[in-house]
Amino acid sequence: MTERSEGVESTAVTGRPCGDGGAPKSTRDWFGAALVEIAREYDHVVVVNCDLAKATRTLPFKEEFPDRFFECGIAEANAIGVAAGLAQEGFRPFVASFGHFLTGKFLEIFQTVGLNDAGVVLVGTHAGLAIGRDGPTQMGLRDLALMRTLPNVGVFQPADGAETWQMMAHLATDRRPAYLRLCRQPLPEAHADGYRFRFGVPPVLRAGADVAVFAMGGTVPVAVEAADRLAADGLAPTVVNVSSLPVDRAAVERLAGGHRQVLVVEDHYAVGGLADELARIVLGLPDRPRFDVLAVPDYGQAGPPEDLYRRYRLDAEGIAAHIAALLQEAPA
Amino acid sequence: MRAERTVAGPAVDLARRADADRIARLATRCRLVLLEMIHRAGSGHAGSSLSCADIVSVLRFDQLDRPPGGPGDVFVLSKGHAAPAWYAALVVGGDLPAGEVGTLRALDSRLQGHPDRTRLGLVDVSTGALGQGLSVAVGRALARRLHGRDSTVYCLLGDGECQEGQVWEAFLYAGARRVPGLVAIIDHNGSQSDGAVADILPLYPLPEKLRAFGWHVAEVDGHDHGELRDALRRRDRDAPTVIIAHTRKGRLGPDRVLLDGSHSDLPSAAEYAAAVDYLETLLETGP
Repeated sequence: MTERSEGVESTAVTGRPCGDGGAPKSTRDWFGAALVEIAREYDHVVVVNCDLAKATRTLPFKEEFPDRFFECGIAEANAIGVAAGLAQEGFRPFVASFGHFLTGKFLEIFQTVGLNDAGVVLVGTHAGLAIGRDGPTQMGLRDLALMRTLPNVGVFQPADGAETWQMMAHLATDRRPAYLRLCRQPLPEAHADGYRFRFGVPPVLRAGADVAVFAMGGTVPVAVEAADRLAADGLAPTVVNVSSLPVDRAAVERLAGGHRQVLVVEDHYAVGGLADELARIVLGLPDRPRFDVLAVPDYGQAGPPEDLYRRYRLDAEGIAAHIAALLQEAPA
Repeated sequence: MRAERTVAGPAVDLARRADADRIARLATRCRLVLLEMIHRAGSGHAGSSLSCADIVSVLRFDQLDRPPGGPGDVFVLSKGHAAPAWYAALVVGGDLPAGEVGTLRALDSRLQGHPDRTRLGLVDVSTGALGQGLSVAVGRALARRLHGRDSTVYCLLGDGECQEGQVWEAFLYAGARRVPGLVAIIDHNGSQSDGAVADILPLYPLPEKLRAFGWHVAEVDGHDHGELRDALRRRDRDAPTVIIAHTRKGRLGPDRVLLDGSHSDLPSAAEYAAAVDYLETLLETGP
């Protein structure tokens, strides 16, 4: 298996503006819009569905490209295999379901997508706690842990509309297996105009000092909000968006190494996610910063999303309070 | 229900017989090669490989159209533990150098214990954990329909493997969508790791179930090359076809079975030598 290269940019998609200037949308919404756009440009883009076209936002694709839409019903294992077969014949299939359900078929993903090196894009929506009242049987909270064990599968999690569009352009032309992790909750645009997604490169959204906060997907704007709240107290955390994995090691070393504290904020179980990935890099630094994680330490539970994020200290208030406490524990 | 025999004149019968005899000899050579592979590796599923050696031989030496460089027919060995049968057919067919016979299951070998297409390009789909191959075969057949390519995707499954739920997801899907250009063959040897399929979890009535799932069903003697070939040639062009091939695990020839049809036992040196003697005698005296 070779190293993942940076994808070719799509002329049709990369020129899109960041967001559309309207109300914030979820990355699954942006995905659904971008999917139709790339499908118009690339005939090889197809969709394999598991009875969740409305929830995963593939319905507009189905309406415009019915011959390229394969409905497998509530049978994700077969859907993954069908997608692998389509990929081996030259198509670029996007298999969309809740991330929790899709990556639940891990034996099938391991063999027919991973080991078989089939260029399937596994699209896992409803990442994290945001599905709220449906509870832990629907929450994508251990998908990263599973997907990161596969050495040839890249992980993509956009933090806003601009990044979703650009990742979709990358995924339309790249032919490697991939996992695209998408959120249900609307997200504000996090990146400045002109932002260009590059695989493995983590963009810095706030350049500060003392503490470097690493976030991914839905936790990115929340971490930014927490940092902005702390500015009133004279604190200026760095905030980094780790939007694709494996992340560039040198970039993380450079970013983490300049701070005395690293905090990873992730809408995922505490074990096996972004924190584990970054810890392997940070542990090797000569002047190692302190390392801490805010994540979901149990199975999660049902409840309104805002209550859940507050309970797990994954809202802006919780993150800000946690950072302040960390810096108090370990003064400069 | 057996597949109907072709009603044809004597000349056609003679040609058919000669062709079946040719494949029978190739299948015997495949058995010799796969047993040598497993014997030299000291590991491998001899019984499962022997039970499908005739099916694989009919596919490799009669049915599969694989022009070099072109999108030819696809073969998915869903019962991946029978990999030695496919490797042996590749050796006998001249696709794979005979020098690799001793590399089965060795470190860095192309001949992995279960087929790995990233290591061996003559493998179309990586398999091993059971139940997954038919879904990939369905995807490949769908893709070919979308491309407008006229070719066939073959998938060989074990009967024990048909206890996996995903196999029935794939049967359900392909039957409901009438996926063309798709042929599944079930190596129905009636035996699995812990005992008889009928005891572990019966599939009965298998043909009725498959028909109910919308497939064209044929049943043949899985060691009769003529029956296998006829059933494959008579497949439904517009709907998926499944051939239930009745076989015997560990079958060496008409009157000999290795290790009483064991799933994964290895032949001792003496058993291996006796099997080789038997197969070589078949080649000398057989059809």
